[in-house]
Amino acid sequence: MNVRRWSALTKRELLKIVRNPAAIATGLLLPILYLLLFGQGFNFTSFLNSPYLTPDQRTQLLHTYLLGAPDYFSYFSAGMVGFVGVTATLFVGANVIFDKLFGTLKRTAASPATAADIFGSRLVAGSIQPVGLAFLVLGLAILLGEVGLAGLHVTAAVTVVGAAEIVAAILLLSLMFASLFLALGFTIEQPQTYFALVNAINLPVLLTSAALYPWGAMPAWLQGVASYNPVTLAVEVLRIDLFGGAFYPYAAWVYLLGLIGWAIAMFAIATFLTQRALAPKV
Amino acid sequence: MADAIVAEGLSKTFNGSVKAVDGVSFSVKEGEVYGFLGPNGAGKTTTLSMLTAVLGPTAGRATVDGLDVLHHPHELKQRIGLVFQESTADQDLTGRENLELAAALFGVHLRDTSKRVDELLDRLALADSADRLVKTFSGGMRRRLELAVGIIHSPRVLFLDEPTLGLDPQGRAGFWKIVGDLRKETGMTVFLTTHYLDEADGVCDRIAIIDHGKIVAAGTPTELKDRLGGDIVTVRPLGDAAALEPALRALPGVTAVTSQDGTLRVKCPSGDTLIPKVVGAATSLGIGLAGVSLRRPSLDEVFLEFTGREFREDEGPTGTDRAVFLTRVQASRRGLR
Repeated sequence: MNVRRWSALTKRELLKIVRNPAAIATGLLLPILYLLLFGQGFNFTSFLNSPYLTPDQRTQLLHTYLLGAPDYFSYFSAGMVGFVGVTATLFVGANVIFDKLFGTLKRTAASPATAADIFGSRLVAGSIQPVGLAFLVLGLAILLGEVGLAGLHVTAAVTVVGAAEIVAAILLLSLMFASLFLALGFTIEQPQTYFALVNAINLPVLLTSAALYPWGAMPAWLQGVASYNPVTLAVEVLRIDLFGGAFYPYAAWVYLLGLIGWAIAMFAIATFLTQRALAPKV
Repeated sequence: MADAIVAEGLSKTFNGSVKAVDGVSFSVKEGEVYGFLGPNGAGKTTTLSMLTAVLGPTAGRATVDGLDVLHHPHELKQRIGLVFQESTADQDLTGRENLELAAALFGVHLRDTSKRVDELLDRLALADSADRLVKTFSGGMRRRLELAVGIIHSPRVLFLDEPTLGLDPQGRAGFWKIVGDLRKETGMTVFLTTHYLDEADGVCDRIAIIDHGKIVAAGTPTELKDRLGGDIVTVRPLGDAAALEPALRALPGVTAVTSQDGTLRVKCPSGDTLIPKVVGAATSLGIGLAGVSLRRPSLDEVFLEFTGREFREDEGPTGTDRAVFLTRVQASRRGLR
């Protein structure tokens, strides 16, 4: 990889992100709608305030179902913050397809830039942005609580290490999904096919993760599936650092290791597919 | 003079059966402007794509600036410039940002980048629009930006793939003026594909006519036209053309006479000396003449001669376009030759 070429291409990607707020809005839309609508209308806190429950029973239920989170909204909004790592990376693959359609990729591929320069620049630019957006969603979730709505309540003392773990979790999840979407972008020619596939990936990934569901309410088979879902791995890191890790079987770094594994695997697949797509057609 | 481009038996087959390029061989000397002329689908762009390491050949080999295109694609891309037929500039970036990006990609030294970018913006009359997004550029401005991107690193060989497609005659003449000036200053080799016959005639030192993936004729524009047997004198008799035809055939230097719709086409090496003899022959037979005209063979006729069919009218510009273009290209011709 040539540093000058890579940095020039990364600058180009970042300029395109800055000049296209619609792409940023697309990445934020789903998590924000979930926070503003789903989270407000589906907050389990009201159930737990039932007069038929003793304080001990209430605490027990929180521990069992929400693994130490103070309420469902807090639990679920941590999930949404993590999920930004998926939704905010969608555009990286779409940009590849549009660059093919507009000829820009043809120009870059005909230059001395290598597949590593082209892929690497898009991966970095596409992975940095979700970290910023995730903190935007985190801030919004906390703010909602401050204005009298259901909001995110951080109950653990977030340390520097904890904050670094949160950043690492979102970054690794973004790297993994940016790799996946880049691989799709370099392989697929039509935007319609790309968006259909992205939709076919996004929802199952969300619905087989622990981003939305109270852990204790999930059937065992779904818990099994969710345990390996990279979104679960990322949001568990967030929940451990935001609410404490007493009810989790592993420390945050173990989940981070799982995410590293996912990111490496997806990076390897995407690198292979990108190199194949950018190689001269023989 | 050394060869800048050598192709030997270059072939490209798509999907195992569609033969886009079928064993083409040619060489281009350093500093030459070499044109690949042919209709759409003839194999021009496929050949150019193989020479620029965008496509790998199915068979044959090629070297550009001494580098094998198959084995040294990376080094090759650093030495050549490529202007595509469509705009490939990033529309969300400004003209200047596009050039700065190209400078980085093609290895222009960081300390020289700003000067080189400014120089090209000035030269290609883009300085006033340099900081506008490319999406606001006109077609002509995009073409000039495309050329600037292609030459940002002062390449030794410049490939132009139908570079003036969609430009008006003024834009096309202006484009070739710039290329001509650059070539004069730097001595770079230019390989271009075009389906504009007049353009190939006006700007190329040598031309290869490609049809159905094969080179059917190659040479300088003059050589190609000379192969047709010289000039064509068109005679429109007022009376019976059939009566005049044998007399014209008998004139010294006449190689062929054809008759169509009462008009006689007389082929000869030197048309201007034949005209008085034609007039004399008609007068002696008492046949009046409605008109006599002389035409040097055009590339249209060359194409007809070597491919057996006319260059499709929808491939080229209109007659008016051609006339305006030719007038303008004469003015810039000196820079190219």
